[in-house]
Amino acid sequence: MSRFTKSFDTIGAVALAIVWIAPLVFAVWAAVHTTSDAVNFRLTSPWTLDNFRTAWDGAPWGKYFLNTFILVTIVLIGQFIVTTLAGYAFAQVQFPGKDFAFLLVLLQLFILPEVLIVENYAMVSRLGLFDSILGVGMPYMASAFGIFLMRQAFKSVPIELDEAARIEGCSRLGILLKVYVPLAKPTYLAYALVSVSTHWNNFLWPLIVTNSPDTRPLTVGLSIFGAPENGVDISIISAATVMSVAPLLIAFLIFQRQFVQAFLRAGIK
Amino acid sequence: MTRAFVTLDNIGKRWNGQLGVEGITLDIEEGEFVALLGPSGCGKSTTLRLLAGLEVPDEGQIIIDGTDVTGASAAKRNLSMVFQSYALFPHLSVAENVMFGMKVRRVPKKERLEKLHNALDITGLLGLEDRKPGELSGGQRQRVALARAIVAGQKLCLMDEPLSNLDAKLRAAVRKDIKKLQNDLGITIVYVTHDQTEAMSMADKVVLMKDGVIQQTGTPEQLYSEPATTFVAEFVGAPPMALIEGRALKGFKDDQTIGVRAERMQLVQAGQGRLACTVTDCEFLGAETFIGLEHPSANGLTVKLDGKAEMTIGSGVEITFADQDLHVFGPDGRRVQPENIPTVLEEE
Repeated sequence: MSRFTKSFDTIGAVALAIVWIAPLVFAVWAAVHTTSDAVNFRLTSPWTLDNFRTAWDGAPWGKYFLNTFILVTIVLIGQFIVTTLAGYAFAQVQFPGKDFAFLLVLLQLFILPEVLIVENYAMVSRLGLFDSILGVGMPYMASAFGIFLMRQAFKSVPIELDEAARIEGCSRLGILLKVYVPLAKPTYLAYALVSVSTHWNNFLWPLIVTNSPDTRPLTVGLSIFGAPENGVDISIISAATVMSVAPLLIAFLIFQRQFVQAFLRAGIK
Repeated sequence: MTRAFVTLDNIGKRWNGQLGVEGITLDIEEGEFVALLGPSGCGKSTTLRLLAGLEVPDEGQIIIDGTDVTGASAAKRNLSMVFQSYALFPHLSVAENVMFGMKVRRVPKKERLEKLHNALDITGLLGLEDRKPGELSGGQRQRVALARAIVAGQKLCLMDEPLSNLDAKLRAAVRKDIKKLQNDLGITIVYVTHDQTEAMSMADKVVLMKDGVIQQTGTPEQLYSEPATTFVAEFVGAPPMALIEGRALKGFKDDQTIGVRAERMQLVQAGQGRLACTVTDCEFLGAETFIGLEHPSANGLTVKLDGKAEMTIGSGVEITFADQDLHVFGPDGRRVQPENIPTVLEEE
């Protein structure tokens, strides 16, 4: 590669990184300054934590955090159970109509979740799960992407390992839990990352299916907090936003090596 | 009549109409070392998998230790298996791999650790308990697979080409280890291999297969000195038996094939031999030299000479052999016993 294209690559990468990180940097900047200092970019102006105090007192954030945390946990557990069983069935079990059923699952990948909002709403109401955290998480548990991912991971497990476990007297469920699941660990980790960040940030569906502070996740709480009728104060909204993305950001910074490795390993297969 | 420890009775298995194995009938005595030998695709691995319960036969009956296990699951057959790829669980340590089956069967912890120690001691793996398979050499992995197979104390052990991933030197060493292990533990081993040296050197009984059918069952000596078909003659022995068309020799019918071993042929002076050939190659192996010869109506002609011998490639030589050293095969490739040629058995 010539030196020109190499430096062009570097400049491009840096430019993209700046564009990508700018909103986050601005939110952090605005959150620690008064509104007028923030919007006028007075770089020498004093820092303050008042915005965080005001924002924290303005809404039941503790409850929202807890709700989001419970939501992503429930969704992840449900997804792990469903995608493990379905992925194993599609990868290693022979049954009539298997290919057709898998095709239907794959078709689900092409449908935007937003298209199904009305139908999901009706279904969740019928199940009596309206305005509950379980109701928010339920429609996402049978994840087509997850089933596909697990199927690929299980397919890459050498069949001799399955046979060796069978000769040792392992039951089918035993083989799944003792052989397939541990070997698919990188895939589980990568999938967990995608799932948690998606559902941490999900907004439209929780907005529709929740209507009380007891069940609302962070994103919905944040939007109500920042709604025009409450008066738009960019610093306070930024402070609230920084608060709500902080746990995810910190977790990613701590585990980033494992995450990247998990993705690489899951991708190689 | 004493009942055999393992009996395969007329076993057949087809894959989508294609032949897998056909009419496999085999008795295995307790404590016997049986080698299933044959080229790739001959059905030897399929036979082993049918015996293991990893496949279900389309027809026939399998009896292990007096119980009909034809349709039984692998777990219920009380056997252990060593896979070609070793099939070690990469996420488990050596100790966990060896104890895997005992944990599944809920063997008490104390007994488990005792047996683990024993198995690792026998296989020389003590001190490597906490390593993962990925941190072991090929030979060590092979021994972990062996340890896992013997730790359960099953009387029947199946091995699917367990040495094919090792280098030649290690292979010879492990061959001896397996043989010794079998003697010490008194277990019955069914061993699949495509390497005739392995089968001949280790087995009490060799089962030679081709295209899903057993060609010959017998001791290594029987297969070597009394091959039932031309295929057996060409497969067993290094170098394999030379096959000569009947019409090239006096006193034989045109449609017969005559087989003769390299060590039974002698080079003679021109005019005194039974066959005139051309030298194609010289293979010096230290104690002996194999001279490859060419004749228009013969296959695999080789003469074994002691020590070092120099031959000019392309030069003409004549060879001779005694009548009693000849093996005669009919037009269908099966061995025939002509009246005028005493068989090796009668000779003994």
